[in-house]
Amino acid sequence: MSKEEVLGRKPVVILEKIRENLERLNEKMEVIIELQKHDRKGAMQPIQDTPLDVMTLLSMPDHLRKTAMTVCRSGRATAEEISQQTTRARAVESAYLNQLVLMGYLKKERKGRKAYFFAERENEAEI
Amino acid sequence: MGKIIAVHSYKGGTGKTLLSVNLAATFAKQGKKVCLFDLDFRAPSLFAILKIASAENWLNDYLNNTCDLSKVLIDISNRIPGKGKLFVGLANPATEAIRDMSAKDRKWEMRALGRLLHLRNALINEKGIDYIVFDTSPGLQYSSINAIVAADLVAVATTGDRSDVDGTSRMLKELYNLFEKKTGIVLNKVLDYNSKERQEELYNRIKNIYQVPLLGMVPCFCDILRAQGNFIFAQDKPDHPFSMLLNEMAKKIDANDIK
Repeated sequence: MSKEEVLGRKPVVILEKIRENLERLNEKMEVIIELQKHDRKGAMQPIQDTPLDVMTLLSMPDHLRKTAMTVCRSGRATAEEISQQTTRARAVESAYLNQLVLMGYLKKERKGRKAYFFAERENEAEI
Repeated sequence: MGKIIAVHSYKGGTGKTLLSVNLAATFAKQGKKVCLFDLDFRAPSLFAILKIASAENWLNDYLNNTCDLSKVLIDISNRIPGKGKLFVGLANPATEAIRDMSAKDRKWEMRALGRLLHLRNALINEKGIDYIVFDTSPGLQYSSINAIVAADLVAVATTGDRSDVDGTSRMLKELYNLFEKKTGIVLNKVLDYNSKERQEELYNRIKNIYQVPLLGMVPCFCDILRAQGNFIFAQDKPDHPFSMLLNEMAKKIDANDIK
């Protein structure tokens, strides 16, 4: 690797780190906003698992149903992947996904830099 | 890419099973690879219509996660002329199985939805199946709504009956639309179908009432009643007007020409 490449890469790495931290900060803020909306101050734990069945999907507001159905179809996906399918902004999908996690319909799992959302692990593992 | 079609209706007796079986057989006759599933777990009927006395594994078992999908599928391609393929997955007609399926909880229904969604990958993407047809229960049943969510197209069988028209209109607004499903109406048991004027009048009336495309109109054929479920028209009576209408319907679906 040339000297220029090493030097050229450093600012990119720093920018990546900043972006990563901003993303995490953004997600935390979205969770806090949702908690405030539901008046659940201090309780950072989501509601216990609630099945995401079709009757639940039917009773959801349209904007959340769209996100929840896309997760059901995908099995497991990041906010970015969901936003590509719904053609809504990633930040919007991230907020909706976190709201669904707080409502107990979805689970969230971090793998490295990426956060994955899914309805239930069995959907992908046992079929 | 293949397609998943859910045949649904608001009321019973509108011709869902007749339409499902014959549409699946028509696609197979046209050389397609088709899977037909009986999702009417409260009143299973495909086993009787297709004269399959018993199955080693039922669709119930796949949804219960006690057997693989491949063990549920029964190959009945030898009944269809040509190179097409037709497989069926049957609902278990035993009283105990019907009772078991009607007592499932929300978590089970959620998993069942996951397994129905998985059919797209397992059958269409991996096995090259062209069409999956779901025959469903009427009205707002879990198994039917699961099928609708998993489908690309909902073929809604309806009649001219006032309560059916009212219920179908509500389902269009409060069910199919909410899931953003492409929907096509099949108007069944149509009386006085012979004149062109009558057909046009009906076509316009249906478009006005439902505001969705019309997949087809099926006259009230005495031959269908006389057959008492003993024939699959698309297969046994290929020249019957009903079989001809099915050919048109299948062509429309295949060409994505649903207007």
